Amino acid sequence: MNYLQPERLDRLAREYVLGTLSGRARRRFERVLAASPAASMAVGTWQERFSVLAASVPPMQPREAAWHGLEQRLFPAPRQQPGGLGAWLGRLLSARSLGGALAGVLLCLAVLRLQPGLAGLEPTSEALPQSYVGLLSDAAGRPAVLASSLRHGHQLTVKLLQPVVVPADRVAQLWALPRDGSAPFPVGTVPDHGSATLSLPDSSEKLFFNVTRLAVTLEVAPAMAGASPGGPFVLIGPCVKLW
Amino acid sequence: MSPPAVPADLSALLARIALRERAAFEPLYRATCAHLLGVAFRILNDRDRAEEVLQEAFMNVWHNAGSYRPDVATPMTWLINIVRNKAIDTLRSGKTERASTVALDDEAMAVAGDAALEPQRLLDDGLTKARIDGCMATLNPSQRQALALAYYRGMVHTDIAVALNAPVGTAKAWVRRGLDRLKDCLQAAGVGA
Repeated sequence: MNYLQPERLDRLAREYVLGTLSGRARRRFERVLAASPAASMAVGTWQERFSVLAASVPPMQPREAAWHGLEQRLFPAPRQQPGGLGAWLGRLLSARSLGGALAGVLLCLAVLRLQPGLAGLEPTSEALPQSYVGLLSDAAGRPAVLASSLRHGHQLTVKLLQPVVVPADRVAQLWALPRDGSAPFPVGTVPDHGSATLSLPDSSEKLFFNVTRLAVTLEVAPAMAGASPGGPFVLIGPCVKLW
Repeated sequence: MSPPAVPADLSALLARIALRERAAFEPLYRATCAHLLGVAFRILNDRDRAEEVLQEAFMNVWHNAGSYRPDVATPMTWLINIVRNKAIDTLRSGKTERASTVALDDEAMAVAGDAALEPQRLLDDGLTKARIDGCMATLNPSQRQALALAYYRGMVHTDIAVALNAPVGTAKAWVRRGLDRLKDCLQAAGVGA
């Protein structure tokens, strides 16, 4: 079906903007829209036409909590001074708080090893299995993703400690950063909340033996083997051997 | 542009936001949030949900301001579209029940009280403001009502058919006729050509 035939495009565009295009047809048209300037123009023209109707909607002042909630969701950290010394201090602080958070996790694990009764783990007096553990934090130093994998396992479990903002047209791509500074390699994609299990192409031991850090970028599509990050690291943190 | 006399230069604010300038974000929010919440509230009929949609829309604005195209739409039109799309998605994902089950606070009462009439009145006001009410008067009441329910309530053809007690095919034809006429009247008036 040719979406771009002008009359058909105009009919789809107006029903899309109005909202009467629904379900799968709506999603299909959104994909056309992302790729076609002609479709964007047709939609823009109808948006302008409908703005005549929007003009009569009575305004409604949002509660102040809506703004605070928005600010909190977008910029969770306290304001940092931009540029120069301020930015450098900001980075230092976030590295420190990140280290602190990791120390916290390791402390918990150490305590559980020594005092399993605290967490009701009496029956298993065994130590925690040998694993790779990563803790990724956001720019403000808040822990965001916990990644763990058995040393000889072929799966990596990721748990989101706070939701990650992933725009609709992006995926959160997890990368492993080797100790020697060689190129990061893609591990898998991370959900924006909850947890997930990623299948690894090889054993953790082979993949992560020389990896000291994990990081997340926002990519337009999941990265293939051999790809490199297409944007800045929005989350990053140490990857350690738990043995 | 939809709200009269917006003092801030919304295009400039959007351009600065695209460059990740936080100082530009709050002025954009303050200048547009009341109108945008009004749009979301008409569709969702639930203040909490509407404010949630408003927040999500502005998160989208922060992350995607770079995709705003001044040659395609005015800033307010672009923003309204983001909010309407999110409100419509929320409505259809079943996260919001409509008037019958919504908590009946004052605002919900005000909307539920004349649920059928209000979209019609908004449509009339909008057409009068744009001075195309005379031209649009050639539509019959059902055609106008169908257009109003779709735009202000985010209803799909099947909802409109139920609301106006008509077959779905008829509801579709009413909406199409309303859209054709809207385009013709605006072109004749030299608005939104």
